[in-house]
Amino acid sequence: MSDINNNCKNIKIRLETASVLVNNAIEAINQNKIKKGNLIWLELTGCSGNIISLLDGSDPSFKKLATKMVNFIYDNSLMAAEGELAMDKLFGAIGSDFILAVEGAISTKDNGLYNVIGRWRGQPVTALDAIKALGEKASYVIAVGTCASSGGMSAARPNPAACVPVHSLLNRKVIRLPGCPCHPDWFLGTLGYILQFGEPALDGDNRPLMFYSTLIHNICPRRPFFNQGIFASQLGEETCMFRLGCRGPVTRVDCPIRQWNNHVNWPIGNNTPCIGCAMFGFPDKMEPFVSYDITR
Amino acid sequence: MNDHEIFINLIKNNISEMLETIDSLYISCNSCTKNMLLNRLRRSVTNLSMLVQGFESSQHLSDANDPQQNPTRVFTLAELRKYNGRNGNPAYVAVNGTVYDVTNNAAWAAATHFGLTSGRDLTGEFASCHSGQSALSRLKAVGTIAE
Repeated sequence: MSDINNNCKNIKIRLETASVLVNNAIEAINQNKIKKGNLIWLELTGCSGNIISLLDGSDPSFKKLATKMVNFIYDNSLMAAEGELAMDKLFGAIGSDFILAVEGAISTKDNGLYNVIGRWRGQPVTALDAIKALGEKASYVIAVGTCASSGGMSAARPNPAACVPVHSLLNRKVIRLPGCPCHPDWFLGTLGYILQFGEPALDGDNRPLMFYSTLIHNICPRRPFFNQGIFASQLGEETCMFRLGCRGPVTRVDCPIRQWNNHVNWPIGNNTPCIGCAMFGFPDKMEPFVSYDITR
Repeated sequence: MNDHEIFINLIKNNISEMLETIDSLYISCNSCTKNMLLNRLRRSVTNLSMLVQGFESSQHLSDANDPQQNPTRVFTLAELRKYNGRNGNPAYVAVNGTVYDVTNNAAWAAATHFGLTSGRDLTGEFASCHSGQSALSRLKAVGTIAE
């Protein structure tokens, strides 16, 4: 964070949203006011970048999540159990109260056969099987990342495995946290809120307003350049990258304030345009990511 | 009550709701509440914009009487294709027979918008996404499409 931003109360409060929610949830759990949640994290048709991003969370951290906030029942990358034992844990949760976090889209072509996530009782379990079995039974479903929220990279043209987002297969509300990947704060803050108060305030596309209410363009530190018509003609120029293809004006999320990797920096802060990774339609509808063949 | 008075009343109500929201924003220190209030304010601004458009229609302010909406240049679709925002050219798009300049419109970075390119007639695409919205009123009209 720059010194200038440290003086802004709004930015300071926004930065604390996730950690306050998580810490309050943990305190309420310690005082037996609320129960620890049961969390299942499915990695479906995607790159597993969201679970890696979650591990990168600092305040709140993954350690707090896994040790104090939830019983982490299933995640194929992180759990000790494997094979049939792991799948027993996954399907054993049906009937209990659990929150389902899903990353990755769902491959639907040929009955989902292009993404088999394990074997159970001798049969292959596809991503499609898993979402159908668990999606309607969970107390909350959170689509983590752009692929789960809107198809994302997995559903990009020509979409050979016919990937679709989570909400298109479930007859229920799915809280959507788009971002490629999803910021750890967006997930942990949302989960902290759910544990304490239930469903957070959502926008028309079921994104939590506490993180997704502001256009990047409206809080971009380079906005004054846009207003004055001072545009970068190539990467590296520290002015507005609108003419090069910056998607900040159509992407609704709080990256300029929150930043990444322990709040160190973000794309525009590092002289690359926003590519709209947290906006529905990414990547196909956000192209070109950078163009040098531009208006004058 | 005629159309004119109905619109005036609705606009007044909308403005008073916006002022209330702004008052609430001043006293709210919770960022979640602020976000909800800002969202409400955005909805009010959209409503207001649509009401103003409706008011103008009720006053019979047709496109022909508005100098900005009465551009004189006539484009063929082939001519329009040159204004694709590349090679230093401005970016124009046509909707419902009117040609608009989107060169410096924030949502048209690199002269593209959600996979659409400029220099084309986007009447169908506009109707499928922005029907009933006031997006066109914020764009500068530069001409019309030849019949």
